[in-house]
Amino acid sequence: MANPNFTFDTETNCYLCEGSWSVLKLDDLLGKIDFSTLPEEKTIKINGEPLIKFDSSGALALRNCLDQLKSKNKEVELINFNKQQLDLLKLVEKDRDSLIYKAPPVTERPFLYRLGKETVNKIEQADGFIILLGDLSSKFFEALGYWRRFQLPSIVSNLYSAGVQALPIVALLAFLIGVVLAYQMGLQLQTYGANIFIAYLSGMAIFREFAPLITAIIVAGRTSSAFTAQLGSMKINEEIDALNTMGLSPTELLVMPKVVALLFVFPLLIFWADVFGIIGAMIMSKWMLGVGYIDYLARLKDSVGLKQMMLGLYKAPAFALIIALVGCFQGFQVEPKGATIGIQTTKSVVQALFLIIVADAIYSIIYSRMGI
Amino acid sequence: MSEPVIEISGLQNCLGGQWVHTDVNLKVEKGEIIAIIGGSGSGKTTILRSLLMLLKPTGGSVKVFGEEVTTLSGNKANEVRRRWGMMFQHSALFSTMTVLENITFPMREFTTLEPKFMEELAMLKIALVGLPKEAASKYPSELSGGMQRRAAAARALAMDPELLFLDEPTTGLDPRSARLFDELVVFLRDSLNLTVVMISHDIESMKHCADRVAFIGEGKILSIAPIEELMKNPHPLIIDYFSKI
Repeated sequence: MANPNFTFDTETNCYLCEGSWSVLKLDDLLGKIDFSTLPEEKTIKINGEPLIKFDSSGALALRNCLDQLKSKNKEVELINFNKQQLDLLKLVEKDRDSLIYKAPPVTERPFLYRLGKETVNKIEQADGFIILLGDLSSKFFEALGYWRRFQLPSIVSNLYSAGVQALPIVALLAFLIGVVLAYQMGLQLQTYGANIFIAYLSGMAIFREFAPLITAIIVAGRTSSAFTAQLGSMKINEEIDALNTMGLSPTELLVMPKVVALLFVFPLLIFWADVFGIIGAMIMSKWMLGVGYIDYLARLKDSVGLKQMMLGLYKAPAFALIIALVGCFQGFQVEPKGATIGIQTTKSVVQALFLIIVADAIYSIIYSRMGI
Repeated sequence: MSEPVIEISGLQNCLGGQWVHTDVNLKVEKGEIIAIIGGSGSGKTTILRSLLMLLKPTGGSVKVFGEEVTTLSGNKANEVRRRWGMMFQHSALFSTMTVLENITFPMREFTTLEPKFMEELAMLKIALVGLPKEAASKYPSELSGGMQRRAAAARALAMDPELLFLDEPTTGLDPRSARLFDELVVFLRDSLNLTVVMISHDIESMKHCADRVAFIGEGKILSIAPIEELMKNPHPLIIDYFSKI
């Protein structure tokens, strides 16, 4: 289709609207028209005959042309426009005032206002979290008296998705961390000829810190976000409201199975990570430092032992609770109208990781106080 | 008479092992308002999806603006897509944009118009569908259901389409808003010279604005006629459909 044009034809002494005045073709037509040199006559004629296509954007453009001409004190006469084109032009003329878009003023709140608002916001979040925790505890103890309320099928499906399906990635990452750790430590130990201490050092680090943390990070990334997305979409779908109107508790039906499943599966995942971390460290030790597998394991048993591994496993309940509760809590925070699932999912992962590291630090303080 | 805007012949659709359509034939002329009705699950939306290239039909031919859309791809397909507008059942407005941004969005993507001109054009569409000016800077979530429909209609009209598809435009609206919407459809057809294809369950709405109504059943179009005529049709499915009114 031909490009639109607005030219002065000297033969007939009028402006010609040519081509297709449609939204796809119009481009910056108005900017190109030169209104500085106008013909002498008082009345300017505009001929619409050569128009191929004329839609509402074309009508708007023509109206703007007319405005320009009128502002230069010219009378305008439209010739050879068909009825439909004139109707469109009328339509555009009619709502002239409503076409001016005024962006709503952006109100910049003072600093103190924003600070206060954010504080209230955070307090409300903490409040909501505590309410959820309390609700969950009471439901949990009620359920202890009547085991059917534990939603066994739901717990099992969560065990599968949060636990079993996470096994490959936990194993791979723990193995790699074991390799990396042994390598870094080995570099130092080698210079002192203290190769055999690799078992003690890497074992301590893996059992007490790395296996629990790596597991927690993976589970926070996989499961906490999944919980948020699941509960969030249920909330948008009004499924949570449906449960409430039936007199059922979303906390009991949706949150408790997740928490129970994660509490159960988390220590197992940490142990799984322990195993693969040690395997990684062991292989690297043999390869780099020449410490044999038997020597490594014997040394690990003597100098590290089960006690250190248990210190790592004790972290599991805290991490599991944090991940499950943060995931569920953020899921409930999704607003049905704003489609905020994405934001809340990000928040849930970030908050879960943040709280995990804080909890880990608290564990370290407790352990150091206890002298272990 | 120029060639029909839509020409469906022998359309067949098999979804999930079930035959939804066995032989659908439909012709829509320029400037018509056609309503498609039929019981739940009779494949009304599937026809629309086949027309919109959202679904590749199992068989048959679907022509829009004279182009065979079942085999169209690439730039050719996009050219056709730019000539129609679709208003989805649940509005499908982009939730992260204001109403104005929703409407200017296709213009920003496809044209090089000046921002101010685009705003004016968007405001024109907003006025056209009868939304108040203030709605322009609101987010879809801040609007009521009826206003969301109108905003969706405004977005469908953003590129001055020649063909407008409406999927259950009046479902869920109160009777007054529904009638206003009918008037809007007729007004748009008259002022912008549109062809309108809509899916509807709303008999009142069809009485008010549809030129012809196509009834789908048994995998094909059983009858296509103005609503009064259709209601007298002796086919058992059609009698059944209208029997409780």
